[in-house]
Amino acid sequence: MLNTGQMNPPDNALPNAAQDILDTANRLRWEVGNSAHEKIVETIYTDAARIADRAVVYPDTPPRFNLDRTIDHLVTSRIWGFPLMILLFTLVFWITIVGANYPSAFLSWLLLDEVYPLLKEGSAFIGLPWWLDGLLLDGMYLATAWVIAVMLPPMAIFFPLFTLLEDFGYLPRVAFNLDNIFKKSGAHGKQSLSMMMGFGCNAAGVVSTRVIDSPRERLIAIITNNFALCNGRWPTQILIATLFVGALVPAYLGGIISALAVVGVAMLGVLMSFAVSWSLSRTWLKGEASTFSLELPPYRPPRFWQTIYTSLIDRTIYVLWRAIVFALPAGAAIWLIANITIGGTSLAAYMVNFLNPLGLIFGLNGVILLAYVVAIPANEIVIPTVLMLTVLMTGASQYGAGAGVMFEASHQETMTLLQAGGWTLLTAVNLMLFSLLHNPCSTTIYTIYKETGSRRWTTVAALLPLVMGFAVTFIVAQVWRLFSLMG
Amino acid sequence: MITVTERILSEDVLKHIYKCEGDGRRATLDSIAGVLQINQDEASTLVSKMAAHDLLQLQGEEFHLTEAGQNYALQVIRAHRLWERYLADETGFDEAQWHTQAEHHEHHLSPDEIEALSARLGHPTHDPHGDPIPSANGQYMPHGGQPLTSLEPGQYARVVHIEDEPPIVYAQLVAEGLYPDIELRLKEISAERVQFFVGETEHLLAPIVARNISVRPLSPEEVTELTPAEPLSSLKIGETAQVVRLSPACRGPERRRFMDLGILPGTVIKAEMVSPSGDPTAYLIRRSLIGLRKEQADQIYITRDVVSNRP
Repeated sequence: MLNTGQMNPPDNALPNAAQDILDTANRLRWEVGNSAHEKIVETIYTDAARIADRAVVYPDTPPRFNLDRTIDHLVTSRIWGFPLMILLFTLVFWITIVGANYPSAFLSWLLLDEVYPLLKEGSAFIGLPWWLDGLLLDGMYLATAWVIAVMLPPMAIFFPLFTLLEDFGYLPRVAFNLDNIFKKSGAHGKQSLSMMMGFGCNAAGVVSTRVIDSPRERLIAIITNNFALCNGRWPTQILIATLFVGALVPAYLGGIISALAVVGVAMLGVLMSFAVSWSLSRTWLKGEASTFSLELPPYRPPRFWQTIYTSLIDRTIYVLWRAIVFALPAGAAIWLIANITIGGTSLAAYMVNFLNPLGLIFGLNGVILLAYVVAIPANEIVIPTVLMLTVLMTGASQYGAGAGVMFEASHQETMTLLQAGGWTLLTAVNLMLFSLLHNPCSTTIYTIYKETGSRRWTTVAALLPLVMGFAVTFIVAQVWRLFSLMG
Repeated sequence: MITVTERILSEDVLKHIYKCEGDGRRATLDSIAGVLQINQDEASTLVSKMAAHDLLQLQGEEFHLTEAGQNYALQVIRAHRLWERYLADETGFDEAQWHTQAEHHEHHLSPDEIEALSARLGHPTHDPHGDPIPSANGQYMPHGGQPLTSLEPGQYARVVHIEDEPPIVYAQLVAEGLYPDIELRLKEISAERVQFFVGETEHLLAPIVARNISVRPLSPEEVTELTPAEPLSSLKIGETAQVVRLSPACRGPERRRFMDLGILPGTVIKAEMVSPSGDPTAYLIRRSLIGLRKEQADQIYITRDVVSNRP
């Protein structure tokens, strides 16, 4: 029974035969119903599969000893699966941290101790005006050199190692092992991979979410990648933990306690990433389409040189280039705010004084907030900027190399300087928390925009961790002060 | 001048009268005010405006749609059901939210957008509950099913419609994994319970719940899902089985993904290993190892009697 009561009569009546065909087609459309489409596609696929099954001959009979399955049963076994995984990744991180020290020290020596003075001499020789010399060399060059020296070596080690594991076929097994945990927070097991990549660099981590083909899970992985403590933030964590947390215990325990504090912050990041994944998948991202599949490709010997080459080009150089592009203007901005003065006071001093009351509410201070504003382009320059601004504010001119010039100092000098700047243990703890929970660097934000193509999700990814950072530091500061009042 | 709020309200009035006419109920000023949650005065202002636009007429106490009103109502219903189809096939929203979301979107889609949506979804004929989606010129065929409770024990039938009101009953049917297009066999029916089988799975429902399932009886020759089958998730590590079919509830991107991976009737699957965290399980499918989560493996029906595809 076709309901034609409401049908408009056709404007130009077709010849009877044609109309008959149309009517029949219309009636059949309703009779075959909705799943006709699916059934036809399924039939085509099934036929194709059947033809392939008949036609394709595999020469090899499966061997009695299957190496792939043997490895698989080991790396996904209930007993050995997780310990092996932890061991392998500890090894990768250890090689990265230890191995990066040497080239980092070399680059720092080359770019800061050798090239920088040369450039200064050169500029003095051609008689550049002081402000141009300052802007170009003290500002832009120094910031960029800093980023390269700190960022390049770990990435040039971490990414190839990671890519080798990927090429070998191990990483999909990690996703397989961890999927259940991620599933409970509404995410995809492969998010474990982009998260680990994020420990190297969040921008690279965001790019690596391309392996997740389900739209919703991919967005979750992109938005939460920032909670993986990146390479640019580890030095901040380590320095502050060594100075303030390590100092709480006897010297022989200092190293281990400050290391635990840093690992604790990194773990907090992992927990945050689960918590945020969980809430995103139940709120904003509820409606995004979600599918799951996880291919476990056969193991194969990694193509060593090809892997090294592509990971250098695709990941290291790509991330480094973007970081440089963003570090140049940041260097300029830092130098400018420290050197433009109004009525004898620098712009930076005005800003620090303005931000100070706000910073104190969150257990931080104006210097830290301003450093995070100007260091949006790269987390690597947060500590040098903090030190430079502290010198500027305290007038401790025995340190540093002048207004707007970033520098590094020995632990003892740094500690004395920071204490002169009014730092307490609370400031240190909250800086560590804020370093974990704040907006991603501009390289990452730009990458998120490129990957999602959406202003909305980019804004969420940028502001969500910032709001969380303020909330967490606020709560910690209030509880801390309450306890110190009671104590 | 008609405001947006007024347009939305009048579209809801049209839908209400249309449903009443279909069910043989009376659409009165009271019922309109009740459904729209407005007072009698507002309702009467609204219907007089609509009457002035020649969308409805008052016959005694009852309102009836004019031809223009009926066409308009069908377009709103078309938008509603298309949107539900879209939510079901292409998004991650779950069943309980389809209706509410469609109630909103049906008022905000232009005729062009409705056409584009229909084309994008491949001009579907039914919404995910089995209700027909009127075509652009208002044609549709009612599902023509009968309540599940009217079947004789032993009879086969195909589900053609699952009523989504009231939500509590609907949630129960969804939880049982019942969808339009599945085939079932009634085992027993009494005043207390209705017992039936979908494949190997037994379902027990209270008659009042079972009544919300509409079915079309099938003669034994028409039954296509006779082969007893169990979900892939029941396969133990090391066991081999053959795919019988994919669940009709598995649609859209998920189904395409399965077919892309070569999970099709006849495909031989071996459960290879399980993640140390308990889920997913890796299956050997066409010489590739694919990890599937339990709820996905539930969508694939298998038999342990493997028949070779090779000649």
